[in-house]
Amino acid sequence: MWGSPSSSNSSSRRKGVSSSRRGGSSSSGINESKAEKLFEDLCDDDDNAASMEGEILCGVVDDNNNMIATTSSTGICKLCEQLSMDPLEDVRVLVLLWKLGANKKPAEIQKEEWMEGCHKLQVDSIDKFRKLVPGLDTGFLDREEFSDFYKFCFQFNRAGTHKTLEKDLVVALLKMCLVGGRITAHRLDTFCEFLETTKDEGYSKITLDQWRSFLDFSYEYPDAKALKAYDEGMSAWPVLMDEYVEYMENLEKKK
Amino acid sequence: MSTKRDGNIIQLEDGWNNVIRQGVSRRSESAASSSSRALHGSLPPPSSDQYYFRTCYDMCTQRSPYNWSRDLYTRHGETIQTYLRSTVLPALQDKTGQGGTILLNELKHRWSNHQIMNKWLKKFFTYLDRYYVKHHSLPTLEQAGLQHFKTEIYQNSKENTTTAIISLIDEEREGEIIDKTLVKSIVELYESMGMGSLDSYTNDLEQPLLESTRAYYGRKREDWIARDSTPDYLIKAEKALGEEKTRVVEYLNPATEPKIRRVVEDEILQKVQMNLLEKEGSGCSVLLANDKTEDLQRMFQLFSRLDSGLQPMANIVEKFITSQGNTCIDKRQARLDSGEKDKNDDPEFVKSLIDLHEKYLGVIRETFSNHHLFGKALKNSFEEIVNNDVGQFSNAELMSTFCDRILKSGGEKLSETEVEQSLDRIVQLFSFLTDKDMFAEIYRNQLAKRLLNQRSASDDAEKAMIAKLKVQCGTQFTSKMEGMLNDLAVGSEQKSEFDQRMEQQETKLSFGVQVLTIGNWPSYKAPEVALPPQMRKCMELFKEWHDAKHQKRRLTWVHSLGNATVRATYGKKSYDLQVTTLQAVVLNAFNDGKTYGFTELKEKLNLDDITLKPLMHSLSCGKHKVVTKSPASNKIQSTDSFSPNAKFTCNMRKIRIPVASVESSHNKSRVEEDRSVAIEAAIVRIMKARKTLPHQQLVAEVLSQLAFFKPQPRVIKKRIEALIDREYLERSSENTQQYNVSLLGFIEI
Repeated sequence: MWGSPSSSNSSSRRKGVSSSRRGGSSSSGINESKAEKLFEDLCDDDDNAASMEGEILCGVVDDNNNMIATTSSTGICKLCEQLSMDPLEDVRVLVLLWKLGANKKPAEIQKEEWMEGCHKLQVDSIDKFRKLVPGLDTGFLDREEFSDFYKFCFQFNRAGTHKTLEKDLVVALLKMCLVGGRITAHRLDTFCEFLETTKDEGYSKITLDQWRSFLDFSYEYPDAKALKAYDEGMSAWPVLMDEYVEYMENLEKKK
Repeated sequence: MSTKRDGNIIQLEDGWNNVIRQGVSRRSESAASSSSRALHGSLPPPSSDQYYFRTCYDMCTQRSPYNWSRDLYTRHGETIQTYLRSTVLPALQDKTGQGGTILLNELKHRWSNHQIMNKWLKKFFTYLDRYYVKHHSLPTLEQAGLQHFKTEIYQNSKENTTTAIISLIDEEREGEIIDKTLVKSIVELYESMGMGSLDSYTNDLEQPLLESTRAYYGRKREDWIARDSTPDYLIKAEKALGEEKTRVVEYLNPATEPKIRRVVEDEILQKVQMNLLEKEGSGCSVLLANDKTEDLQRMFQLFSRLDSGLQPMANIVEKFITSQGNTCIDKRQARLDSGEKDKNDDPEFVKSLIDLHEKYLGVIRETFSNHHLFGKALKNSFEEIVNNDVGQFSNAELMSTFCDRILKSGGEKLSETEVEQSLDRIVQLFSFLTDKDMFAEIYRNQLAKRLLNQRSASDDAEKAMIAKLKVQCGTQFTSKMEGMLNDLAVGSEQKSEFDQRMEQQETKLSFGVQVLTIGNWPSYKAPEVALPPQMRKCMELFKEWHDAKHQKRRLTWVHSLGNATVRATYGKKSYDLQVTTLQAVVLNAFNDGKTYGFTELKEKLNLDDITLKPLMHSLSCGKHKVVTKSPASNKIQSTDSFSPNAKFTCNMRKIRIPVASVESSHNKSRVEEDRSVAIEAAIVRIMKARKTLPHQQLVAEVLSQLAFFKPQPRVIKKRIEALIDREYLERSSENTQQYNVSLLGFIEI
């Protein structure tokens, strides 16, 4: 999660911002050396980037690349602990990482991303981070911002170079980030049910296109009434949506 | 009588009363007598005409105030008018009520009189016509005379006249004989009353006639439709239309023809069209079912007259043919249901479809004059029939096997022309298939079998069939098939060269190789069986020879396809066993006389279960048990052991030992894969050209580009999603239902 591979180190050296403004307060308002120290503290001791698989949002690998679930917080988990947020349950963790700009690789934030993020959010200490936490609710994001965050949720939770997410993870993530009125609870529940019960092997992995389309689709067809107007023949929505609509129609018939 | 010669002025009354009037009255007297002889016979000699003309001339050229032009003109008109009013009109009125013909005759007489009188009067007063009329832009004498007739006589009697004519026409329609000449003369009267236009005729006769015609045929229609069958009705309709056409020619104005035709067509055809088509027991489908060519032809010709009159008929024809096709399908289903084995070969069914198609091609040609609507009906119905599969095997496969029968040796016994005809007809049927690519795949597999096993009856026939498919579908469709034929042709050319090479060596085996170009042929398993050294030597020889000729080509041996003849000696008798290469290899393994277990053989020969089991079965459980299996049973177990059958004997010297083929008849998943590729290629092609498209349009264009199969919209959508994933396309940010081409994916190309 905490990546400090040599490349990012060199690039952070190359980048004018961090190196020339070492020590003391800068014109951007934060103490850079403090922020840097924070990063290094939270980083893995042995500087190895931890790769992630599966649902666990923090962990570490051993020499054979086997996943070790660890209770000792590393990286992001450490930070979460200090901020009293549960990385497995609390969507605000993801919001924070998104705001910091952890875009390069899934499941980790790199040093330069961290530094830029700290500048953006004007934080350089755990205290200042703590003050941010209440504002991390997704409710504060407008539609465009939320769409961007929603995309980040998918991208961040991928395993390594994979481009898709496992279905189970998708369901968990959806429940985590779409709760709170963005879409109706009925929509969220029925869609997750549909995903869980479908026997189609093709849906054991979900693509980014399908992930994003679900949100846009739900904006356009927010409730059951709107679904009646859905015309598969005209629609460019992914087949996943067509099948979801069909699933809902069958449920109706059974009543 | 005073004349100009005297130098005296002619006074108006003098001139008029003494001269003109006399002339006029004499004319009218002779005209009043009903005999036509009187009209033309006792005419005063021309000299007296001159006299009247002269008088008029004088009276019109006298100097003012003695110029009587205007008066004469006026009195000319008045004379006619008076005569008409006092003489003609009463006469006519007298005849009214005595029956139509009498009235008409009188009118005809009077009209003809008038025409003559008009002519004579004009002669008298010609001078007026030359100068006075022209100078004052007045109607000519003739026109004036005509106008008077119209005003005084025609307007008063036209209604009765029209009624009289119409009832005569109705009588004629009912079969009575009427005086056509009389009617024709009256019609001419109407025409003349138009004074240069046809208006009087049109408004006063034609219009009422059309209305009464409409009423007449309306009644007839109700009568006929209640009692007559469709064919009988149509015969009557045809007759009526013919009669009306003749009527116009005989005594009406030609302008009436199209109008009356449309009225009749409307009343007796248009208004009951569906009734006639759908009549129970005699409607269109009944006629089709009973092959009533003449009645159908008549129906076709009659309905062709109507605007879009043929579409309903074509629809019925389409439904009918479809139901006939469904009957063929039902028959097939019934056979399968009653226990008949579901094979990939059903010549009875295929032939029934071919026959059905041929039959209705003929019907459309003969009965419907090859009209395009009916051609389309046939096409639509066959597209439905041919794609309706029942049973395990698709119609595409049944049709391909049908071809196989014709093309393989030992199949149907047909003459060259029959072969040509059959292939033609099956290709016609093929043209209706949606899944043409499936047919191609199956056909190629069967073709490969024919070619490789030398079971093709005629090279020409194979080429002909491929050529027909090429005409239907284009070069790309048949390229692999042509490639196969080409491989064999090339092979046989090079065979003699290699044979010479073989002769140089001293091998006891005679050996031939067929080289196949991968990609043209179905994919075959190539087991790396352990070959006996003699075989290996032959192969190496060939490889050497081949590689010298074609450096860039790589050979892969497919032993599962080869054939061999094995000289087997059992005791004193020798046999020539015709077997496959693999069977030969197995037999060779027994040359040391030992017994081998199944697993041992497997290892020794380096073959897997799936390949070895059928081989052992063919040698030890078939008709000719050249190898003994223990324990004896009909199933090969891995615990079995085998040894040569010392007791083997057979009457024949040459024995063929068939082995069950392991290859499936065709590869469904290959077709599916090819389809995915084809869909994606189409999408990419289209998006590269258009840059951005809404979803529906993209789907429509993809479908139009795919000639050989028709995927469901969801299938196309999945391919689009796959391409989005691979970043060839992206969803438009402005419109969720639109796609843009994305350049990211193309960087790799």
